[in-house]
Amino acid sequence: MNRDAGAGAGAPALEVEDIHKKFHGLEVLKGISLTAYDGDVISIIGSSGSGKSTFLRCINFLETPDAGRIRVGGEQIEVRQKRNGTLQTSDRQLVKLRQRLGFVFQNFNLWPHMTILENVIEGPVQVRGLSKKEAIEKAEALLAKVGIDSKRHAYPSHLSGGQQQRAAIARALAMDPQVILFDEPTSALDPELVAEVLGVMRGLAEEGRTMLIVTHEMGFAREVSNKVVFLHQGRVEEQGPPGKVLVDPDSPRLRQFLSSHLH
Amino acid sequence: MDFSFELIIASLPQLLTGVGMTLQLVAVAVALGFFIAVPVAILRTSRNPLVQALPFSYVFFFRGTPLLVQIFLIYYGLGSFEVVRNSPLLWPILREAYWCALIAFTLNTAAYSAEIVRGAIMAVPFGEIEAAKAIGMTRVQAFRRIILPRAFRIALPAYGNEIIFMIKGSALASTITLLDLTGMARKIVARTYKPVEVFLAAGILYLIIVYGVTWVLKRVEKRLSITPPRLPVKAEDAGPV
Repeated sequence: MNRDAGAGAGAPALEVEDIHKKFHGLEVLKGISLTAYDGDVISIIGSSGSGKSTFLRCINFLETPDAGRIRVGGEQIEVRQKRNGTLQTSDRQLVKLRQRLGFVFQNFNLWPHMTILENVIEGPVQVRGLSKKEAIEKAEALLAKVGIDSKRHAYPSHLSGGQQQRAAIARALAMDPQVILFDEPTSALDPELVAEVLGVMRGLAEEGRTMLIVTHEMGFAREVSNKVVFLHQGRVEEQGPPGKVLVDPDSPRLRQFLSSHLH
Repeated sequence: MDFSFELIIASLPQLLTGVGMTLQLVAVAVALGFFIAVPVAILRTSRNPLVQALPFSYVFFFRGTPLLVQIFLIYYGLGSFEVVRNSPLLWPILREAYWCALIAFTLNTAAYSAEIVRGAIMAVPFGEIEAAKAIGMTRVQAFRRIILPRAFRIALPAYGNEIIFMIKGSALASTITLLDLTGMARKIVARTYKPVEVFLAAGILYLIIVYGVTWVLKRVEKRLSITPPRLPVKAEDAGPV
């Protein structure tokens, strides 16, 4: 499989252009653009406060960006300017956008009043209108894939963090997203549980899934992604293939960042 | 003073009809109140001050004034308006003490319940709501599938309290001639001049009612608990949550 940066001839799976976001006058994102082609695995790195999580959350409008354009599968998400200047999409467009973008949270955010299986079929049944039977079949296959099918009737609070995160990944996959966004998926886990989640993500990358991963796991970023983006103070400071960006970076700031993270 | 067990036994049938009236009033008021409380609570969580204004005033009034005053306002107050007395729709209802008590109880418990549900809605962890948004749910879907089911579980202990307050508050129905448990007890005392026996018996009956309701609520709480105890947690599965 061709995993060179910017590979793929067809339309990009996800195009994000010039995203700006301010919180209480503080400019967190100062115009970030990023393009992901089908099969791209892009790691987004940066120190805390660099805006990487905010950027990821802006892509599916968990935060509403102040300016910018987002295109998924070649289809532009229409946004209109509210009177206070921020952008807003219609509810229908938002729902459509979010169905195409899977999102995996740092804190899993499984719904605790539902079993693991119910968590996974909730989106397909309620949002996509699949029959329950169809959704369950699919969910069981996904739970087997992430290795927790034996837990399907357990409640989230009975699972370890690693199992919960794998369930959350299955929940995102159940929507057949074009792109999956991971927001520091292993940061809330005990060290010994990180590997099982990274293992599942590695499997997804090998399947050719398009993924955007905000992460602190430099080894994983280097091994799995075909492109790494380094954010610094709300801007893309450097980007490129991991062999270059993580090994021989141009930016002194990135060099400093890496020296504090690789050891 | 000579204590008469015979009188307690003899007045039991009458007191039990009073229990029936009390249970009926409370059950209907709590059930109707709940259906008013949920939309009021949802409106109360709106950030739009215009949407908020009406539910806020309603809750403010019914929580800020005594239930007895509310009963009197509805039973004596509304009846003093000619419009109400001449209305073929309102008067048949508002001249009956039973309906007046029921209306007062319903509006009162709805106001308290609305605040309980509102607090519970606010207490639903934000991440769970974000997960609902991220999967593509509309606002209505997120409320129906995630926020309200979660909020009801969070609200249950406080809501159980409200039901128990309502059971005891329903004694005020006796002030407008209704023969609920308290009303029936007063009626028997007026005839027998034996307040100790009769009110003691009434008190014990209230205790039994409240105990029964508490027991049911506990069962419901257990059933809806998000960590059902019947599933044992193995040590190696119990991770940090």
